Amino acid sequence: MSMSADLPITLVDPVSLPGTHAGPVLRVEALRKSFGKREVLQSLDWSVPAGRVIGLLGRNGAGKTTLLRCLLGLSPIDSGRVELLGEPMLEPGGERMHRIGFVPQTFDLFPWMRVRAYLDFTAAFYARWDHALVTRLLDSWQLDPKQKIGQLSQGQRQKLAIVRAIAPQPDLLVLDEPVASLDPQARRAFMAELLDLMRRPGKTVIFSTHITADLERAGADIALLRDGRIQFTRPLAELRERFLRAVLNRAEGWSSTPSIAGLLKASTSGADLQLLLEDPDANDLQALAASLGASLRIETPSLEDLFVELA
Amino acid sequence: MRAVWQLWLQLWKRMPVLVVLAILMWLGGLIFIVMNPYHYRGSVFVGVALSAFASWFWHIGQGQALRGLCRPESFLLPDFQRRLAWLGAISVLQWVILPSLLAALFAPTHGILIAAALLFVAAMGLATGCGRRVGLLIWVVFIAAGWMPQLAGQIVKVALISPWTAPLLILATVLLLRMTLLPLLHIDDREVEPSPLENANLGRTATVDGTPQPRGAIGKRIAGLFDYVAQHAMELALRRYRERPTAPHKLMLVRRLLLPHDNPQAIALRLLLVAGMVAIYFFVIMHRQHFNAAVVGAYAILLTMTRFPQLGRGMLRMRPNLADLYLTLAPRTHAEYQKMLVDALLILVPISVLTALAYTLLGSVLVHAAEPGRMLLTAAIVASSASLVALAVHLIGPEGSFGRAAINLVVLLGSMAMYWGGYWLIGAIGYAIGGITLAVVTISFGGGVWYAAQREYQRRTPCFDAPLV
Repeated sequence: MSMSADLPITLVDPVSLPGTHAGPVLRVEALRKSFGKREVLQSLDWSVPAGRVIGLLGRNGAGKTTLLRCLLGLSPIDSGRVELLGEPMLEPGGERMHRIGFVPQTFDLFPWMRVRAYLDFTAAFYARWDHALVTRLLDSWQLDPKQKIGQLSQGQRQKLAIVRAIAPQPDLLVLDEPVASLDPQARRAFMAELLDLMRRPGKTVIFSTHITADLERAGADIALLRDGRIQFTRPLAELRERFLRAVLNRAEGWSSTPSIAGLLKASTSGADLQLLLEDPDANDLQALAASLGASLRIETPSLEDLFVELA
Repeated sequence: MRAVWQLWLQLWKRMPVLVVLAILMWLGGLIFIVMNPYHYRGSVFVGVALSAFASWFWHIGQGQALRGLCRPESFLLPDFQRRLAWLGAISVLQWVILPSLLAALFAPTHGILIAAALLFVAAMGLATGCGRRVGLLIWVVFIAAGWMPQLAGQIVKVALISPWTAPLLILATVLLLRMTLLPLLHIDDREVEPSPLENANLGRTATVDGTPQPRGAIGKRIAGLFDYVAQHAMELALRRYRERPTAPHKLMLVRRLLLPHDNPQAIALRLLLVAGMVAIYFFVIMHRQHFNAAVVGAYAILLTMTRFPQLGRGMLRMRPNLADLYLTLAPRTHAEYQKMLVDALLILVPISVLTALAYTLLGSVLVHAAEPGRMLLTAAIVASSASLVALAVHLIGPEGSFGRAAINLVVLLGSMAMYWGGYWLIGAIGYAIGGITLAVVTISFGGGVWYAAQREYQRRTPCFDAPLV
């Protein structure tokens, strides 16, 4: 049995969060995007400061891919404004394209090209291109430069897309579920490369994923996309601090949910009543447990738990 | 310039044969202009014509290559559009300015006109290669010229001396390029991929590399209508299967899944559309000359048989999806599953015969054929055997594009030749004896090929691997 409560989460402007840069690499205002009658993005506002890793979370069909493609100008928007690296993103173009890397969700481009030819083709367009990195990654990720892209597996294509995206040493790296098709070794190797990239100053990464463990490893700020809007963007540590799970236990079980400030979601399991709370007061919880004749246990939910509860 | 060089190389890498032929023709044209072997101004124009043809050929390839390159993700490449513009400038230099300058040296009177014409030809090739229907306008010009050849000759004479011709050609080129390049450089949401086995006559199947064909508003409406009809047919088949889950109803469901646009309503709609287009074509050229009924009938057969090459390609692309069908059907043996596919696809034979008859009937009415019965009888017999053979070779034929192209050519030409031969035979020895003879020879051949092919197909293990590029 599960009981839901309305989410009393307010939009937080990440620019105002402590430790963030003043000039955002991305600013989105009132972005709307529909496919036919289905409105995927509904007046979405978002701002991403420079030098951060942003993990974009959302359920299947929430619009993560659409949002990322709209940000890069790869999908026309219905209304609103997107500003990328300080300039309006009316269409992909200009010098800033040298500073942007993108890994699409599925890499189905240029199947007739060989890996080496594709990378040579792409490298020719960029002012910066880390040939040593490309050689190293092709070798360690076992990508055959002579193979045609159409003959690569989905995982290999994903690796190639990652190599292609990070080789120009972009200042902004946008990744759409980059590790979905990767094996655990490749996922770890990718995360290592990503963290290495992030150690350089001024680098920003936005990536959507369902593998919350990767976001925890990267210490990412979490942005939650739900109902066509970014519900919040917060550092992971802050999320952990603010959200707690209180487990009340009593032998006779639970027929109703007690009222308590900051309650986001409640569910029962036998003698346990689990409450997901935002900014709870420990004293209030203790008092509640005593009044209900229950024992109290406080837990810190994992990011995955939070995602399941909030998304 | 490295990026421009890479862009220029793409055509060489993708279509080396076309590139070599076009370059050889272009060089031949230039040599013809320069050498001027007969010291006659006309040979300069022959050289220019050769260059123009090479340019048209090259730009059709370039258009196809650009369609593959201009995906939304490509626009993230820095200065992608500017580099494309450079590629265009190099093309103009190679295919327009150089031949025009040489021609101007040897035939100075028409230099600007030659340059404008070469520019127009290049733009026309690009439009055709990019899949824009405006590229088909060239055929309207040919049809009109064939309709009224004397008037066309007079127009050409006037155009050659008129100072307005070159500016008008340049204006037409600008319009053509605008119509071609704007959709190519416009970023739009990707359309939903159609079924690989969808009927090719809709003109919305993806090209070999998976690039979707660009469609206009009318095309989208027609496709939507076909999708609606396909959905309705699928729902009907489902309802019937739920009511009575028999083997024939199950087979019908598989057919609706595999061949979404081969249900009665969609076939009727398709015939209507093709009939409309053919009627317009005949209306335009009917004053031109008398038609040979055998040619019209053979054309109807050709039109019918174009369904099968697309079926062969579609079955390859469909393979990963067929794994799901296999699991859903849960056959006892591989052979049972293969037989189910064979039985489902066999419906294409009567559909093809019906289509051939409809096209032939339409053709015979439009050209006022003297012996429509003879045309229809020949079409029915030839379409039956030819579609059996075509279906057979696409079930078990080669997977490579070259092998398939060769087989398609043989089947198409063979079918048309069979029609001509059959038409002559029935005319020579009468409807009864001629018809029976033709039917015995061709249908026994087609049936034999089909029987052997479907046996071989059932013997094979189903393959669900995606085709390699």
